[in-house]
Amino acid sequence: MTSMQTELTSREARVHEALGAVTDPEYPDVSIVDLGLVESVDFGRHGTVAVGLIPTFSGCPALAMIAADVNEAITAVEGVVRCEVRWLPAPVWSTDRVSESARVQLRNDYTVVLRKKDGTLLCPVCGSNTVTDQSSAGPTRCRSVAWCGSCRNVVEVMR
Amino acid sequence: MQDLEEFQAFIDAGGMVEPNDAMPEEYRAEVFRFIEFHANSELMGGLTERDWIPKAPGLRLKQIFLAKTQDEIGHAHLLYMVAADMGVKSRTEMLEQLFSGRSRFHNVFHYQAVTWADQIAIAYLVDAAAFASQRAVFAECSYGPYKRVLKRIVAEEGFHMRHGEEMLLRLAEGTPIQHEMFQAALNRWWWPAVQLFGPDSASDDPLLAWKIKSQRNEVLRDAYIQKYVPLLQGYGFEIPDDGLFYDEEANDGKGRWITSPIDWEPLIATMRNGGPDSRRRINTASQNWADTAWVRDALDRSERPAA
Repeated sequence: MTSMQTELTSREARVHEALGAVTDPEYPDVSIVDLGLVESVDFGRHGTVAVGLIPTFSGCPALAMIAADVNEAITAVEGVVRCEVRWLPAPVWSTDRVSESARVQLRNDYTVVLRKKDGTLLCPVCGSNTVTDQSSAGPTRCRSVAWCGSCRNVVEVMR
Repeated sequence: MQDLEEFQAFIDAGGMVEPNDAMPEEYRAEVFRFIEFHANSELMGGLTERDWIPKAPGLRLKQIFLAKTQDEIGHAHLLYMVAADMGVKSRTEMLEQLFSGRSRFHNVFHYQAVTWADQIAIAYLVDAAAFASQRAVFAECSYGPYKRVLKRIVAEEGFHMRHGEEMLLRLAEGTPIQHEMFQAALNRWWWPAVQLFGPDSASDDPLLAWKIKSQRNEVLRDAYIQKYVPLLQGYGFEIPDDGLFYDEEANDGKGRWITSPIDWEPLIATMRNGGPDSRRRINTASQNWADTAWVRDALDRSERPAA
């Protein structure tokens, strides 16, 4: 336990726990905290909580749904009277914000990979480096489409 | 592995077929046909969604329809990649056959969406039927690359359903005119949505034996009816079926909804591209393909390395 965590009151711990349980509508079991969408959680007086979120892409169609899910999860926490959810204009989201556990989930469960720092892509199915870009646009704003020439699977790349 | 009995035993034991594996030609042909049908349906569905982007009331709904269009077209893109890799037809062959009316796609995209409420009926009823049917394919799906793509498609279709519910609630709780609009749309879309699951599965359906489908058509269709009849009635709408009744004795006394016998003629007509709106839809898609040739051409040129 870090000193910060021990300082949290039980209510604050419960809020963080509730927030961690909110998932992305397009990845129904991946936490928005692990995807790096949560920028700030501020505790005000009289049981108010303010959550600052950042979008992956500003045109993401899931924003209203995510905000509603956060609001519902936080206001259900004992001791919380009101929750205010805001989409922040800064900082800008990048794949650096995605946690290691979410990367594992995306790779194993969704065949979605993130480019390594040096730009290389490893196939989420067979692990080989024979993944080539196919098109910059795929089903969602936050992913491009690639193809693994070794195992012949469609790979999507979170960008 | 080429021996059909041996292959069936492999599938029965939960075996997953990968593109580099040997597979019986019958399996390859059936799986290809199924994925091609799915890809065609996503593409034709995406084009319908696109028609409603400029007509959607308000910025938020335009954004939702824009994103849904990208989703559907993107799903078609991924599925055509998987299908083309099977070596039966190239992507160009699949598209040319679709646009010349020589291919098949889901029955629901052979009807016209007359009003905005029709589009909501599609988002609420048709997306839910497609979601149920795709989820059942994902559950066991023996072809690895298709199963992996389906995982993401199913997640995204689930997300579309939430949008459909939200839009339906708006009409259900709206003015009497909005309520009437949705009832009129429901009258047009209820049966096509029910028919989407298809007639009862044949006892020797190879798609079931090879675990592309995990559930029989009639099982999925009945689950859909049991879920959506009470939901729609709960919102104050009437199911357009005079013969519909609740049989309290059925289902070991737990009761179940029984519909009138289903007339399969409309479904059969759509499978021959002879549905009410088939011709216009195919022509529009074909025209769209021709109009965007310059974009594909420009992209192909830009990918060429500089001389």
